[in-house]
Amino acid sequence: MDISGEQQIDAPRERVWEALNDPEILRQCITGCESLEKISDDEMKAEVLAKFGPVKAKFKAKISIEDQIPPASCRLVGEGQGGVAGFAKGAAVITLHESDGGTRLEYKADMQVGGKIAQIGSRLVSGTTNKIVGEFFEKFPTLL
Amino acid sequence: MYEFSYHKASSLEDARSTLATAEDGKLLAGGMTLLPTMKQRLAAPTVLVDLTGIDMAGIEGKGDNIVVGAMTTHAAVASSSLVQQTIPALAALAEGIGDPQVRNRGTIGGSVANADPAADYPAALVGLGATVVTSKRSLSAEEFFTGMFETALAEDEIITAVSFPVPEAAAYQKFPNPASRYAIVGVFVAKTANGIRVAVTGAGGSVFRNAEMEQALASNFSPDAVKNIAVDSSGLNEDIHASAEYRAHLVGVMASRAVAAM
Repeated sequence: MDISGEQQIDAPRERVWEALNDPEILRQCITGCESLEKISDDEMKAEVLAKFGPVKAKFKAKISIEDQIPPASCRLVGEGQGGVAGFAKGAAVITLHESDGGTRLEYKADMQVGGKIAQIGSRLVSGTTNKIVGEFFEKFPTLL
Repeated sequence: MYEFSYHKASSLEDARSTLATAEDGKLLAGGMTLLPTMKQRLAAPTVLVDLTGIDMAGIEGKGDNIVVGAMTTHAAVASSSLVQQTIPALAALAEGIGDPQVRNRGTIGGSVANADPAADYPAALVGLGATVVTSKRSLSAEEFFTGMFETALAEDEIITAVSFPVPEAAAYQKFPNPASRYAIVGVFVAKTANGIRVAVTGAGGSVFRNAEMEQALASNFSPDAVKNIAVDSSGLNEDIHASAEYRAHLVGVMASRAVAAM
Protein backbone atom coordinates (compact mmCIF):
# COMPACT_ATOMS: atom_id res chain seq x y z
CA MET A 1 0.00 0.00 0.00
CA ASP A 2 1.35 3.41 -0.98
CA ILE A 3 0.71 6.42 1.20
CA SER A 4 1.86 9.82 0.13
CA GLY A 5 1.03 13.40 0.76
CA GLU A 6 2.34 16.73 1.86
CA GLN A 7 1.73 19.13 4.66
CA GLN A 8 2.53 22.82 5.05
CA ILE A 9 3.95 23.53 8.50
CA ASP A 10 4.33 27.03 9.88
CA ALA A 11 7.87 26.67 11.24
CA PRO A 12 11.42 26.90 9.88
CA ARG A 13 12.90 23.82 8.29
CA GLU A 14 15.56 23.34 11.00
CA ARG A 15 12.88 23.34 13.69
CA VAL A 16 10.78 20.76 11.82
CA TRP A 17 13.85 18.57 11.31
CA GLU A 18 14.69 18.80 15.02
CA ALA A 19 11.14 17.88 16.00
CA LEU A 20 11.11 14.88 13.68
CA ASN A 21 14.17 13.65 15.53
CA ASP A 22 12.72 14.29 18.97
CA PRO A 23 11.36 11.04 20.42
CA GLU A 24 9.10 12.85 22.90
CA ILE A 25 7.39 14.90 20.18
CA LEU A 26 7.00 11.86 17.95
CA ARG A 27 5.52 9.85 20.79
CA GLN A 28 2.87 12.48 21.40
CA CYS A 29 1.94 12.63 17.72
CA ILE A 30 1.49 8.90 17.15
CA THR A 31 -1.91 7.71 18.33
CA GLY A 32 -1.55 4.83 20.78
CA CYS A 33 2.23 5.21 21.13
CA GLU A 34 3.14 4.16 24.66
CA SER A 35 6.88 4.54 24.44
CA LEU A 36 9.43 5.69 21.91
CA GLU A 37 13.13 5.96 22.49
CA LYS A 38 16.24 6.61 20.51
CA ILE A 39 18.73 3.79 20.74
CA SER A 40 21.33 5.54 18.61
CA ASP A 41 21.56 8.42 16.13
CA ASP A 42 19.88 6.36 13.48
CA GLU A 43 17.72 3.89 15.40
CA MET A 44 14.54 4.13 17.46
CA LYS A 45 12.29 1.62 19.13
CA ALA A 46 8.63 2.07 19.96
CA GLU A 47 5.64 0.37 21.50
CA VAL A 48 2.28 1.19 19.98
CA LEU A 49 -1.12 0.00 21.09
CA ALA A 50 -3.09 -0.21 17.85
CA LYS A 51 -6.84 -0.05 18.31
CA PHE A 52 -9.34 -0.36 15.55
CA GLY A 53 -12.84 -1.49 16.24
CA PRO A 54 -12.78 -4.54 18.46
CA VAL A 55 -9.12 -5.21 17.69
CA LYS A 56 -6.49 -4.21 20.20
CA ALA A 57 -2.92 -5.26 19.51
CA LYS A 58 0.39 -4.08 20.86
CA PHE A 59 3.11 -3.61 18.28
CA LYS A 60 6.79 -3.46 19.09
CA ALA A 61 8.51 -1.54 16.38
CA LYS A 62 12.08 -0.85 15.35
CA ILE A 63 12.73 2.10 13.12
CA SER A 64 16.01 2.97 11.46
CA ILE A 65 16.73 6.36 9.95
CA GLU A 66 18.75 6.15 6.78
CA ASP A 67 20.18 8.57 4.22
CA GLN A 68 20.01 11.51 6.60
CA ILE A 69 20.63 14.87 4.92
CA PRO A 70 19.80 17.43 7.64
CA PRO A 71 17.63 19.42 7.42
CA ALA A 72 16.37 18.32 4.02
CA SER A 73 15.51 14.65 3.88
CA CYS A 74 15.73 11.18 5.34
CA ARG A 75 14.40 7.71 4.84
CA LEU A 76 12.67 5.79 7.62
CA VAL A 77 12.60 2.01 7.54
CA GLY A 78 10.50 0.27 10.13
CA GLU A 79 9.17 -3.06 11.18
CA GLY A 80 6.58 -3.76 13.86
CA GLN A 81 5.74 -7.11 15.44
CA GLY A 82 2.28 -7.53 16.91
CA GLY A 83 2.60 -11.08 18.20
CA VAL A 84 -0.33 -13.25 17.09
CA ALA A 85 -1.92 -10.21 15.47
CA GLY A 86 0.69 -10.05 12.75
CA PHE A 87 3.23 -7.56 11.57
CA ALA A 88 3.59 -4.30 9.75
CA LYS A 89 6.62 -3.08 7.89
CA GLY A 90 7.39 -0.23 5.62
CA ALA A 91 9.64 2.54 4.48
CA ALA A 92 9.02 6.23 4.11
CA VAL A 93 10.94 9.01 2.43
CA ILE A 94 10.48 12.38 4.09
CA THR A 95 11.54 15.58 2.36
CA LEU A 96 11.45 19.08 3.84
CA HIS A 97 11.26 22.10 1.52
CA GLU A 98 11.42 25.75 2.46
CA SER A 99 8.21 27.39 1.31
CA ASP A 100 6.12 30.45 2.12
CA GLY A 101 8.20 31.28 5.18
CA GLY A 102 7.47 27.83 6.57
CA THR A 103 8.20 24.26 5.65
CA ARG A 104 6.52 21.92 3.22
CA LEU A 105 6.84 18.34 4.41
CA GLU A 106 6.47 15.69 1.73
CA TYR A 107 6.11 12.03 2.56
CA LYS A 108 6.00 8.98 0.42
CA ALA A 109 5.64 5.63 2.13
CA ASP A 110 5.17 2.05 1.15
CA MET A 111 3.67 -0.22 3.76
CA GLN A 112 2.85 -3.90 4.10
CA VAL A 113 0.72 -5.60 6.72
CA GLY A 114 0.74 -9.34 7.26
CA GLY A 115 -0.63 -12.03 9.55
CA LYS A 116 -4.10 -12.20 11.06
CA ILE A 117 -4.56 -8.48 11.16
CA ALA A 118 -4.17 -8.40 7.37
CA GLN A 119 -6.57 -11.31 6.82
CA ILE A 120 -9.33 -9.86 8.92
CA GLY A 121 -8.61 -6.21 8.71
CA SER A 122 -7.53 -5.72 5.10
CA ARG A 123 -10.58 -3.60 4.36
CA LEU A 124 -9.69 -1.39 7.33
CA VAL A 125 -5.96 -0.96 6.90
CA SER A 126 -6.11 2.02 4.53
CA GLY A 127 -8.73 3.80 6.61
CA THR A 128 -6.78 3.23 9.81
CA THR A 129 -3.54 4.39 8.22
CA ASN A 130 -5.14 7.57 6.89
CA LYS A 131 -6.49 8.26 10.34
CA ILE A 132 -3.13 7.78 12.07
CA VAL A 133 -1.35 9.97 9.48
CA GLY A 134 -4.09 12.61 9.78
CA GLU A 135 -3.87 12.69 13.56
CA PHE A 136 -0.07 12.89 13.37
CA PHE A 137 -0.17 16.04 11.28
CA GLU A 138 -2.92 17.52 13.39
CA LYS A 139 -0.79 17.30 16.53
CA PHE A 140 2.70 17.76 15.10
CA PRO A 141 2.46 21.51 14.29
CA THR A 142 1.01 22.21 17.74
CA LEU A 143 4.15 20.83 19.43
CA LEU A 144 6.67 22.92 17.51
CA MET B 1 -9.08 -17.27 23.21
CA TYR B 2 -7.38 -15.91 26.32
CA GLU B 3 -8.88 -16.27 29.78
CA PHE B 4 -11.42 -13.70 30.86
CA SER B 5 -14.11 -13.44 33.50
CA TYR B 6 -17.75 -13.48 32.49
CA HIS B 7 -20.45 -11.46 34.18
CA LYS B 8 -24.10 -11.71 33.21
CA ALA B 9 -25.55 -8.35 34.16
CA SER B 10 -28.90 -8.38 35.94
CA SER B 11 -29.70 -4.74 35.31
CA LEU B 12 -28.46 -1.75 33.34
CA GLU B 13 -26.92 -0.30 36.51
CA ASP B 14 -25.20 -3.62 37.28
CA ALA B 15 -23.75 -3.67 33.74
CA ARG B 16 -22.63 -0.07 33.96
CA SER B 17 -20.93 -0.39 37.36
CA THR B 18 -19.23 -3.69 36.45
CA LEU B 19 -17.91 -2.13 33.27
CA ALA B 20 -16.76 1.00 35.09
CA THR B 21 -14.74 -0.96 37.66
CA ALA B 22 -13.29 -3.54 35.24
CA GLU B 23 -9.70 -2.95 34.22
CA ASP B 24 -10.33 -3.78 30.57
CA GLY B 25 -14.02 -4.62 30.30
CA LYS B 26 -16.16 -5.05 27.21
CA LEU B 27 -19.91 -5.24 26.76
CA LEU B 28 -21.21 -8.39 25.08
CA ALA B 29 -24.45 -8.08 23.10
CA GLY B 30 -24.77 -10.63 20.30
CA GLY B 31 -21.01 -11.10 20.14
CA MET B 32 -20.96 -11.37 16.35
CA THR B 33 -17.87 -9.18 16.03
CA LEU B 34 -16.36 -9.37 19.51
CA LEU B 35 -16.25 -13.17 19.87
CA PRO B 36 -14.53 -13.90 16.52
CA THR B 37 -12.03 -11.15 17.36
CA MET B 38 -11.33 -12.74 20.75
CA LYS B 39 -11.02 -16.20 19.20
CA GLN B 40 -8.40 -14.80 16.85
CA ARG B 41 -6.67 -13.34 19.89
CA LEU B 42 -6.90 -9.90 18.36
CA ALA B 43 -8.60 -8.62 21.49
CA ALA B 44 -8.26 -9.80 25.05
CA PRO B 45 -10.68 -8.03 27.39
CA THR B 46 -10.33 -9.19 31.00
CA VAL B 47 -14.06 -8.95 31.76
CA LEU B 48 -17.07 -9.56 29.52
CA VAL B 49 -20.32 -8.02 30.67
CA ASP B 50 -23.16 -9.94 29.04
CA LEU B 51 -26.26 -7.83 28.36
CA THR B 52 -28.60 -10.70 27.41
CA GLY B 53 -30.04 -10.88 30.93
CA ILE B 54 -31.34 -7.31 30.75
CA ASP B 55 -34.71 -6.83 29.13
CA MET B 56 -33.81 -4.55 26.23
CA ALA B 57 -35.27 -6.46 23.28
CA GLY B 58 -38.49 -5.59 21.55
CA ILE B 59 -40.06 -3.26 19.01
CA GLU B 60 -42.89 -0.85 19.68
CA GLY B 61 -44.63 2.08 18.07
CA LYS B 62 -44.52 5.32 20.05
CA GLY B 63 -46.32 8.15 18.31
CA ASP B 64 -44.63 8.68 14.96
CA ASN B 65 -41.62 6.61 15.97
CA ILE B 66 -40.66 2.97 15.92
CA VAL B 67 -38.54 2.23 18.98
CA VAL B 68 -36.24 -0.78 18.69
CA GLY B 69 -34.67 -2.06 21.92
CA ALA B 70 -30.87 -2.32 21.84
CA MET B 71 -30.84 -6.11 22.27
CA THR B 72 -33.30 -6.72 19.42
CA THR B 73 -31.79 -9.09 16.86
CA HIS B 74 -31.60 -8.33 13.15
CA ALA B 75 -33.92 -11.30 12.53
CA ALA B 76 -36.53 -9.83 14.89
CA VAL B 77 -36.42 -6.47 13.08
CA ALA B 78 -36.63 -8.20 9.68
CA SER B 79 -39.66 -10.28 10.65
CA SER B 80 -41.53 -7.66 12.69
CA SER B 81 -44.89 -6.94 11.11
CA LEU B 82 -44.85 -3.47 12.69
CA VAL B 83 -41.52 -2.61 11.00
CA GLN B 84 -42.62 -4.22 7.73
CA GLN B 85 -45.75 -2.06 7.67
CA THR B 86 -44.25 1.24 8.81
CA ILE B 87 -40.62 1.23 7.59
CA PRO B 88 -40.32 -1.68 5.13
CA ALA B 89 -36.86 -0.43 4.09
CA LEU B 90 -35.59 -1.03 7.64
CA ALA B 91 -36.98 -4.58 7.70
CA ALA B 92 -35.36 -5.28 4.32
CA LEU B 93 -32.04 -3.82 5.50
CA ALA B 94 -32.05 -6.09 8.58
CA GLU B 95 -32.89 -9.08 6.36
CA GLY B 96 -29.80 -8.35 4.28
CA ILE B 97 -27.26 -8.29 7.14
CA GLY B 98 -24.73 -11.15 7.18
CA ASP B 99 -26.14 -14.66 7.26
CA PRO B 100 -28.97 -16.31 9.29
CA GLN B 101 -26.60 -17.06 12.17
CA VAL B 102 -25.53 -13.43 12.44
CA ARG B 103 -29.11 -12.18 12.08
CA ASN B 104 -30.31 -14.45 14.88
CA ARG B 105 -27.57 -13.44 17.32
CA GLY B 106 -26.48 -9.97 16.26
CA THR B 107 -28.29 -7.00 17.77
CA ILE B 108 -28.98 -3.45 16.66
CA GLY B 109 -27.29 -2.03 19.76
CA GLY B 110 -24.16 -4.11 19.20
CA SER B 111 -23.94 -3.16 15.54
CA VAL B 112 -24.43 0.52 16.20
CA ALA B 113 -21.95 0.62 19.12
CA ASN B 114 -19.30 -1.16 17.04
CA ALA B 115 -19.77 1.41 14.22
CA ASP B 116 -18.13 -0.72 11.57
CA PRO B 117 -17.62 1.50 8.51
CA ALA B 118 -19.28 -1.13 6.32
CA ALA B 119 -22.22 -2.00 8.58
CA ASP B 120 -25.76 -1.52 7.24
CA TYR B 121 -27.55 -0.08 10.28
CA PRO B 122 -25.63 3.24 10.41
CA ALA B 123 -27.08 4.11 6.97
CA ALA B 124 -30.62 3.55 8.27
CA LEU B 125 -30.01 5.55 11.44
CA VAL B 126 -28.58 8.56 9.62
CA GLY B 127 -30.90 8.18 6.61
CA LEU B 128 -34.01 8.21 8.77
CA GLY B 129 -32.69 10.73 11.29
CA ALA B 130 -32.98 8.26 14.15
CA THR B 131 -32.22 8.93 17.81
CA VAL B 132 -29.86 6.73 19.81
CA VAL B 133 -31.06 6.38 23.39
CA THR B 134 -28.39 5.47 25.95
CA SER B 135 -28.16 4.95 29.69
CA LYS B 136 -27.32 8.66 29.98
CA ARG B 137 -28.92 10.66 27.19
CA SER B 138 -30.43 10.79 23.71
CA LEU B 139 -28.28 11.56 20.67
CA SER B 140 -29.08 12.16 17.03
CA ALA B 141 -27.55 9.54 14.72
CA GLU B 142 -25.27 12.17 13.20
CA GLU B 143 -23.92 13.17 16.60
CA PHE B 144 -23.53 9.53 17.52
CA PHE B 145 -21.29 8.28 14.69
CA THR B 146 -18.02 10.20 14.99
CA GLY B 147 -15.59 8.19 12.86
CA MET B 148 -14.33 4.78 11.88
CA PHE B 149 -15.36 2.47 14.73
CA GLU B 150 -15.85 5.60 16.78
CA THR B 151 -18.99 6.82 18.48
CA ALA B 152 -19.92 9.50 20.97
CA LEU B 153 -20.44 6.80 23.64
CA ALA B 154 -18.57 7.29 26.91
CA GLU B 155 -16.64 4.35 28.40
CA ASP B 156 -19.46 3.34 30.72
CA GLU B 157 -22.40 4.37 28.54
CA ILE B 158 -24.78 1.72 27.23
CA ILE B 159 -27.20 1.99 24.30
CA THR B 160 -30.72 1.05 25.37
CA ALA B 161 -32.77 1.69 22.23
CA VAL B 162 -32.87 3.27 18.79
CA SER B 163 -35.89 5.37 17.87
CA PHE B 164 -36.72 5.70 14.16
CA PRO B 165 -39.15 8.38 12.94
CA VAL B 166 -41.51 6.81 10.40
CA PRO B 167 -40.70 8.30 6.95
CA GLU B 168 -43.09 8.93 4.05
CA ALA B 169 -41.02 6.51 2.01
CA ALA B 170 -37.55 4.99 2.17
CA ALA B 171 -35.32 2.44 0.47
CA TYR B 172 -31.89 0.93 1.03
CA GLN B 173 -29.68 -0.53 -1.65
CA LYS B 174 -26.25 -2.01 -1.14
CA PHE B 175 -23.52 -3.58 -3.16
CA PRO B 176 -22.58 -6.37 -0.77
CA ASN B 177 -19.28 -8.11 -0.41
CA PRO B 178 -20.32 -11.57 -1.66
CA ALA B 179 -18.60 -13.37 1.23
CA SER B 180 -19.43 -11.26 4.28
CA ARG B 181 -22.49 -9.35 3.00
CA TYR B 182 -20.96 -6.23 4.46
CA ALA B 183 -21.75 -3.21 2.30
CA ILE B 184 -18.95 -2.31 -0.09
CA VAL B 185 -21.27 0.66 -0.57
CA GLY B 186 -24.81 1.02 0.77
CA VAL B 187 -27.11 3.99 0.29
CA PHE B 188 -30.24 4.73 2.31
CA VAL B 189 -32.65 7.27 0.81
CA ALA B 190 -35.61 8.57 2.81
CA LYS B 191 -38.40 11.09 2.31
CA THR B 192 -38.88 12.41 5.82
CA ALA B 193 -40.85 15.18 7.49
CA ASN B 194 -37.59 17.18 7.47
CA GLY B 195 -36.87 16.69 3.78
CA ILE B 196 -35.00 14.15 1.74
CA ARG B 197 -32.03 12.41 3.31
CA VAL B 198 -29.33 10.35 1.60
CA ALA B 199 -26.97 8.38 3.86
CA VAL B 200 -23.97 6.41 2.61
CA THR B 201 -22.25 3.53 4.40
CA GLY B 202 -19.27 1.39 3.38
CA ALA B 203 -17.70 4.09 1.24
CA GLY B 204 -15.92 6.17 3.87
CA GLY B 205 -14.51 5.76 7.36
CA SER B 206 -17.95 6.33 8.78
CA VAL B 207 -21.51 6.85 7.52
CA PHE B 208 -22.09 10.24 5.88
CA ARG B 209 -24.84 12.22 4.14
CA ASN B 210 -24.56 13.45 0.58
CA ALA B 211 -25.99 16.98 0.49
CA GLU B 212 -25.70 17.35 -3.29
CA MET B 213 -27.87 14.30 -3.88
CA GLU B 214 -30.39 15.43 -1.27
CA GLN B 215 -30.77 18.78 -3.07
CA ALA B 216 -31.02 17.16 -6.49
CA LEU B 217 -33.74 14.81 -5.26
CA ALA B 218 -35.63 17.64 -3.57
CA SER B 219 -36.19 19.31 -6.96
CA ASN B 220 -36.46 16.17 -9.08
CA PHE B 221 -37.18 12.92 -7.27
CA SER B 222 -36.04 10.45 -9.91
CA PRO B 223 -33.21 7.92 -10.28
CA ASP B 224 -31.66 10.03 -13.06
CA ALA B 225 -31.30 13.00 -10.72
CA VAL B 226 -28.61 11.26 -8.67
CA LYS B 227 -27.11 8.82 -11.16
CA ASN B 228 -24.63 11.27 -12.65
CA ILE B 229 -23.68 13.25 -9.58
CA ALA B 230 -19.93 12.81 -9.24
CA VAL B 231 -18.78 11.75 -5.81
CA ASP B 232 -15.29 12.81 -4.71
CA SER B 233 -13.21 9.68 -4.12
CA SER B 234 -10.60 11.33 -1.91
CA GLY B 235 -10.67 9.91 1.59
CA LEU B 236 -12.89 6.98 0.63
CA ASN B 237 -12.05 3.40 1.61
CA GLU B 238 -9.79 1.30 -0.53
CA ASP B 239 -9.11 -2.42 -0.28
CA ILE B 240 -8.65 -5.52 -2.42
CA HIS B 241 -12.38 -5.57 -3.19
CA ALA B 242 -12.84 -2.04 -4.47
CA SER B 243 -10.78 1.08 -5.11
CA ALA B 244 -11.83 4.48 -3.78
CA GLU B 245 -12.87 5.54 -7.32
CA TYR B 246 -15.02 2.44 -7.72
CA ARG B 247 -16.69 3.07 -4.38
CA ALA B 248 -17.34 6.70 -5.36
CA HIS B 249 -19.03 5.49 -8.55
CA LEU B 250 -21.09 2.93 -6.62
CA VAL B 251 -22.54 5.67 -4.40
CA GLY B 252 -24.36 7.14 -7.42
CA VAL B 253 -25.46 3.74 -8.70
CA MET B 254 -26.80 2.59 -5.32
CA ALA B 255 -28.51 5.94 -4.71
CA SER B 256 -30.32 5.77 -8.06
CA ARG B 257 -31.35 2.16 -7.40
CA ALA B 258 -32.69 3.15 -3.99
CA VAL B 259 -34.73 6.00 -5.52
CA ALA B 260 -36.04 3.64 -8.21
CA ALA B 261 -37.12 1.19 -5.50
CA MET B 262 -39.25 3.80 -3.69
